Amino acid sequence: MIKLYDYLLSANCYKARLLLSMLDVPHELVPIEFYPRREHESAAFKKINPLGHIPVIDDDGFILRDAHAILMYLACKYDGGRDWYPTGDPRLLGEVASWLQFADGTAATASAARLCINFGYDFDLEACQAGAHRLFRVLDEHVWFREQEGLSWVASAAAPTVADMALFPDVALSEEGGISREDYPALRRWTERIQRLGGFIDMPGVLPVAPLPS
Amino acid sequence: MDATAPQEPGPPILDLWHPVAILAELTAGETIRTRLLDRDIAVGLDGEGAPLAWLITGEAPGGAPESLPAIAAYEFAWTSLGTPPAEIFAIPECDEPDRRNLATFSVGVHVSAPRAVENFLDLGHFPYVHAGILGQVPRTEVADYRVEVDPETNELWALDCEFFQPQAAAASTDGQMSQYTYRVPHPYCVMLYKSCPTDESRFDVIALFCQALSADRVLFHTFMSVIDEVSSDEQIRAFQTLVSAQDKPILENQTPRLLPLEVGAEASVRSDRASVAYRRWLGDLGVGYGVIPAGLPDDGS
Amino acid sequence: MTAPDPASLLHPVAAGADLVPRHVVRSRLFGRRLAIWRADDGFINIWEDRCIHRGMRLSAGVNDGAELVCQYHGWRYSNRNGNCTYIPAHPGEAPAGALRVATFACAERYGLVWSGDSADASPPSIPALEDAEVLVLRSLPVNAPVPLVLEGLARYSFRPTAALGSDIPVATSADAGNPFSVTVTATTAGAASSVVFFVQPADAGRCVIRPVLSPAPAPGERLVTLRHHAGALEELRAQLEDARPTEIAVPLPVATLEPLRSGGTGGAAGGRRPQLQVRVARKWLCAEGITAFELVPVTGELPSFQPGAHLDVHLPNGLVRQYSLTNGPDLTDVYRIAVKLEPDGGGGSRLMHDSVHVGDVLDISTPRNNFPLRRDAARTVLIAGGIGITPLLAMAQTLARQGLTWELHCFARSDDHIAFGEMLDSLAGSITRHVGLTPEQTGHELGRIVRPYAPMNHTYVCGPGPMIATARALAADAGWPEAAVHFEYFKNESPRDDTSAFEVALARSGRSLRISAGESLLDGLRNAGVDLPSSCEQGACGTCIATVLEGEPDHQDVYLNGSERAAGDRMLTCVSRAKSGRLVLDL
Repeated sequence: MIKLYDYLLSANCYKARLLLSMLDVPHELVPIEFYPRREHESAAFKKINPLGHIPVIDDDGFILRDAHAILMYLACKYDGGRDWYPTGDPRLLGEVASWLQFADGTAATASAARLCINFGYDFDLEACQAGAHRLFRVLDEHVWFREQEGLSWVASAAAPTVADMALFPDVALSEEGGISREDYPALRRWTERIQRLGGFIDMPGVLPVAPLPS
Repeated sequence: MDATAPQEPGPPILDLWHPVAILAELTAGETIRTRLLDRDIAVGLDGEGAPLAWLITGEAPGGAPESLPAIAAYEFAWTSLGTPPAEIFAIPECDEPDRRNLATFSVGVHVSAPRAVENFLDLGHFPYVHAGILGQVPRTEVADYRVEVDPETNELWALDCEFFQPQAAAASTDGQMSQYTYRVPHPYCVMLYKSCPTDESRFDVIALFCQALSADRVLFHTFMSVIDEVSSDEQIRAFQTLVSAQDKPILENQTPRLLPLEVGAEASVRSDRASVAYRRWLGDLGVGYGVIPAGLPDDGS
Repeated sequence: MTAPDPASLLHPVAAGADLVPRHVVRSRLFGRRLAIWRADDGFINIWEDRCIHRGMRLSAGVNDGAELVCQYHGWRYSNRNGNCTYIPAHPGEAPAGALRVATFACAERYGLVWSGDSADASPPSIPALEDAEVLVLRSLPVNAPVPLVLEGLARYSFRPTAALGSDIPVATSADAGNPFSVTVTATTAGAASSVVFFVQPADAGRCVIRPVLSPAPAPGERLVTLRHHAGALEELRAQLEDARPTEIAVPLPVATLEPLRSGGTGGAAGGRRPQLQVRVARKWLCAEGITAFELVPVTGELPSFQPGAHLDVHLPNGLVRQYSLTNGPDLTDVYRIAVKLEPDGGGGSRLMHDSVHVGDVLDISTPRNNFPLRRDAARTVLIAGGIGITPLLAMAQTLARQGLTWELHCFARSDDHIAFGEMLDSLAGSITRHVGLTPEQTGHELGRIVRPYAPMNHTYVCGPGPMIATARALAADAGWPEAAVHFEYFKNESPRDDTSAFEVALARSGRSLRISAGESLLDGLRNAGVDLPSSCEQGACGTCIATVLEGEPDHQDVYLNGSERAAGDRMLTCVSRAKSGRLVLDL
């Protein structure tokens, strides 16, 4: 069974938990106490990931680190590279890759602001928040135009992709970093759509949404 | 009211002990910087492992910091910006030899300390905010309980509280009624005594110690003193991490962030009697920091 | 130029398309935070973004299609009027009528949703948008004050579509009637097209530009047009946000947004409830001998209700009759009641059947609930006899909507005698019809239904007196605690004894009265000037309840259960009297 080295409150670990759940892949969570013990920086954990960060998966001895790498791997292995990571469609694949890159930006801004407020990380909070707002403006406009095209997800496919999974945690948890989503109505609708997907699991900080009428 | 009007803590708050660091995170010879009541402070350890605290004044890092009183209690370093009592409030259970005392989880929350304390005193949110752990819809009823101010200590107590708790084991469908007693020994600290699963005659202690960074920001420190020979420290901390992290988005979505003390500023029902009594108790103590005092308009922003 | 008071105008607060099903939009107007949601029936609610209980943002709440549910303690607020309909911490009690969120005016025009604090105001009427179909362009929040944004928009270089060159002559006009909009018109080849930029004043330093284009482009041009304007506005936003605040020519008009109806946090007011006028919108035979009525408000919105609630209907001949609401929580724009023709009754049902017609106006009370539905039961058993189905129908719909476990048993003479039979078919749940039974057979069936008792089961019984008595006795035999058996009599059929005479002391006013034989305590109190609310005056509804401080009441009602009677601390003043020579009431 896949082992996921995981911390409950990590937005990056949540990406992996989300996709594992949506793909219905049996897995075991191995808690790594990020706070207060900083276990991810322990000598023992650095044998698994010398960079000292989570998430990491261990799929029957195959060790893979970094949330986005894990998303691609899981989608290829357990969804055959079809919907979640559409390897057969170059344009779509390019879109997905570009939004994964974009999610590195939200991690460096929105997620960093959250670490400042939650755990006192010594980043420039205002700069992180301003950076997140710049990215959210771009993403909100993008998602709004997707809706105008009759589409629901970040990439121009009918089904969600790993790009949605990579972006969702930083957006959905942004208010913990003091980044209001009042100005991003399209993003608020998009996060609700993701929360209504089959297999969705929440984490603390993500409030439940109403189911759609049947 | 939220961000604009600066508030002065005043003696009722200045003269108290406030938690400012987890002892285990301090190292002799090093200091950490933090905030308390809108002031910058530094916290360290002396050669014997006792905490030290300083007020950082002025711009120059080389300026002489002003020494503050400091004590160690319940796994935290505490300091005061005024004239604190000789002793911090007692939690006698912590001295029992078979107890495990742990600082469990600390997180920054953009809310006033009184809002955080009030949330901790509240049973009614269990089935919504801590679904599957401390409560479960539709078992939402809050049975009547008693509230008292101890005339000796002037501490606020909520007694004979009871709430339906779903069974922790996934295989079981039945839950049970759990008994709780709440105690507020300090305007920004609250604890609960909960029947211990392994020994019904004794109580586990779970406490919230708020470090008021400013009038509307706290570090939400939790502490547990439990009789538990089974769980690892990590498991105990993971439980408290989950529960605290579930409260955080609720607290950060409350408006105003300061706690309104005016009766009728917010609707209260019978199950809110602990919250209503806490608000009145804060008013009687003259607390004006982290709250909207009675008589002031609450503009809802 | 004298500008109108900005707060007296309506302002856009959302695009209609933002209000997708089961969603809550977060917005802001003059610094007020708003939660905006569309119910499944299409009604748009604009509320203060704050639960009246502990201040939780309602824009983070759950829109269940008919009610908005707060995430903190599950308080439910009704579509349309914002009244609190359920407090989960106290499942057995109806929330006080005064508990409601603050609500704001709402209107829809030009694809936008408008709000403000005047119920009489309308959205601006813009000539350029009146004659053709419009397209709502992408709105853009700007971190800049309103006057600066309006100035910037007036300079906006407008081309109706991306395909045209930048040398088209453009006319800009500000609408004097609405200082918060700028109309830009371009004329090419004799055809004019306009964009009206409405500016939503969010707060002092922030606003939202909400542009509307007319005429709408051809379907094939739609996306490219949207992108063209979004891009141009983005450029404008960058300029506006870079500008120094000293460039502001006009200060922001000061306005404070006040709710149409402020939130209420107090308990219910004492005394009589205000009366309400309704018009009969629909009348039909919903079963053999049973006429259904739909009542709509003459003005405004109907007050909210909970399952189990009833209305007093003041009939044209002076009679007052109680009828249970059959509405589920999703039906908030009408009250639906059913009236069974009682040939031997006091004439009320005959009057309703024969003399009340569609279009007639009736005086009614606001809904009262003496039969509240708990929603924390593991299983809820609803038992209806005849017309007693009406409150249980409201309960069944509520339970079904919340996905709780329930079953409904309808006892009736025949299938044709079951009111709203067709609605029962559409309810997902366990519904059993028991028709044409003798009293003995009814008793046998009731015995099967109430057995066995399991913890957290609750039963609600409504029907003829003998049936309720049988059901209660059977339930007690089967081990049901009294608190788990809820019942509502339509009338008190037991004989009453009003031959006693006694003394009543009123603790609050210090006065003392003598109640003589043949006079009710309620009437005696009223004659002494104590204005106690009442409704059925038959000891059935519980409205005229009073707290007993001293003395032993002689209970003759059917409202209190055995343990409540034994406690002796409350009594119904309309029928109950004193066993002791003297009572002290908390009045």
